[in-house]
Amino acid sequence: MSELADLQARFCAGLESMDGGTPDLFRSAGDIGKRFGIYRGNARANTANALGGSYPVVAKIVGEDFFSGLAREYGMRYPSVSGDLNEYGESFAGFLDEFAPAREIAYLADVARLEWRVHRAHYAADVVAFDPARLATVAPEQQGDLMPRLNPACSFMHSAFPLARIWEVNQSQYEGAFEVDFSREPAYVLVYRPRFRVEVMEIPPAAAAFLKAVEQGGTLETALSAAQLHDVAFDLGGWLVEWIASAVIVDFQINGG
Amino acid sequence: MNAPAVQERQPAAFGAGIGLRACHYREFLDSNPPAAWLEVHSENYFGAGGYDLHVLDHVRASYPLSLHGVGLSIGSADGLREAHLAKLKRLVDRIEPALVSEHLCWGAIGARHFNDLLPLPYTNAALEQIVARVTQVQDTLRRRILVENVSSYLEFSDSDMSEFSFLAELARRSGCGILLDVNNMYVNSINHGFDTGRALSEIPVGLVGEIHLAGHSPSEDLLIDDHGSRIAAPVWALYEAACARFDAVPALIEWDTAIPALDVLLDEASKAQRIMALAHV
Repeated sequence: MSELADLQARFCAGLESMDGGTPDLFRSAGDIGKRFGIYRGNARANTANALGGSYPVVAKIVGEDFFSGLAREYGMRYPSVSGDLNEYGESFAGFLDEFAPAREIAYLADVARLEWRVHRAHYAADVVAFDPARLATVAPEQQGDLMPRLNPACSFMHSAFPLARIWEVNQSQYEGAFEVDFSREPAYVLVYRPRFRVEVMEIPPAAAAFLKAVEQGGTLETALSAAQLHDVAFDLGGWLVEWIASAVIVDFQINGG
Repeated sequence: MNAPAVQERQPAAFGAGIGLRACHYREFLDSNPPAAWLEVHSENYFGAGGYDLHVLDHVRASYPLSLHGVGLSIGSADGLREAHLAKLKRLVDRIEPALVSEHLCWGAIGARHFNDLLPLPYTNAALEQIVARVTQVQDTLRRRILVENVSSYLEFSDSDMSEFSFLAELARRSGCGILLDVNNMYVNSINHGFDTGRALSEIPVGLVGEIHLAGHSPSEDLLIDDHGSRIAAPVWALYEAACARFDAVPALIEWDTAIPALDVLLDEASKAQRIMALAHV
């Protein structure tokens, strides 16, 4: 091990030490323990701030003090592994599933799941908007074989809780009633990014089944069949218009040429 | 030491610019505020797409840009994180910035990243390793980078050369330039008790490619480099001394905590511009 590697390993152990011990590496004037403590504090604060930036709704729901505690616990169990802090926090929902004090808020982990999708959608690749006029050039007998392509920013998830509504009332610019009806049926939530702003909306099971089939490489025909298992009156035309306009579907390919 | 395949992009002395932060995006999308040039933190634009890159693509049409990395950790004993370097390369290729810079520090070891600018021991053994890393970065990016001196709160017992003689030697051997942060130099001069005039004299004229200015705050016997206030009088004085010693190079106002209205940043940049102009008539 090089001298530098040894020094950095000892510095690292000091930063991670629970007892606040300071490695014997320094000759500085002043209180070395206190100065080393600044680095220990920075390491915690940097990841905690990043976590707060990616999970603003979780932070708002639990309040600043509780969130600080969550960030500290999470930071000890899931230290940062990337020089890009926007990648930090991927395992937060799973952590909330397991961490007893957080489980008192039953929907918290699902909110975190949604927020990570929103966070990643923010950085997803840009797409060129699809021109619906291009569909008119497809022969009617080929239309069922078209394979819709989802926007890379787009994802959806299922939750036993009214996630879209919880997300909505906790947005900083939200003005309106704060009531959330927890008695509703479990629902699907769609995360999408029409241009640069990430949006969240609840979608019915048939729409979710359609998107899931599309995600798995299905054609319009197979996706429609999947949707109709949930809703025989599934409005394919209406949804396609909406999803093309909101850039959920960004292209169509002909299956098998 | 082989010189890297450098694509020289000598920026014109484009004056005193500011760090572009997300809270000021709207103003730069709606108009062209009178900033001389802009610097951003590279990692904030590592995504495949999205709003941040959209803003960067927009401003690059109107302003010279600098990509300033905070997470590459060129001082890690176990080498560069290839995935991080690849993302930086993708961004540099896309944006074609006037300047690219990193810090003389480490932040990662093994799988662990502290996302901080941790100090290095100033030894010959460390120097050799870091020269190799900087060379690797420059070879990958196919251009020269600037390396910045960081603020620190501790000095290593192992160090047997000064911070600035180490940085100067790194620049000589790797061909990189120096991003001289005069606030960090001042903060360290107080924290470690050295003379800034002597530190300046250790930096050869001609190697400095950019100067950073920022605010700090006192904490008992220490100065904390928090980039959260106007630039302090002794740092302005040090900037004047640096302008007197070095060539006219781009200067930058950095503000990262409690970020004020854009006008405050532009006001600080104007002050830096006046000092630069007086020194280089």
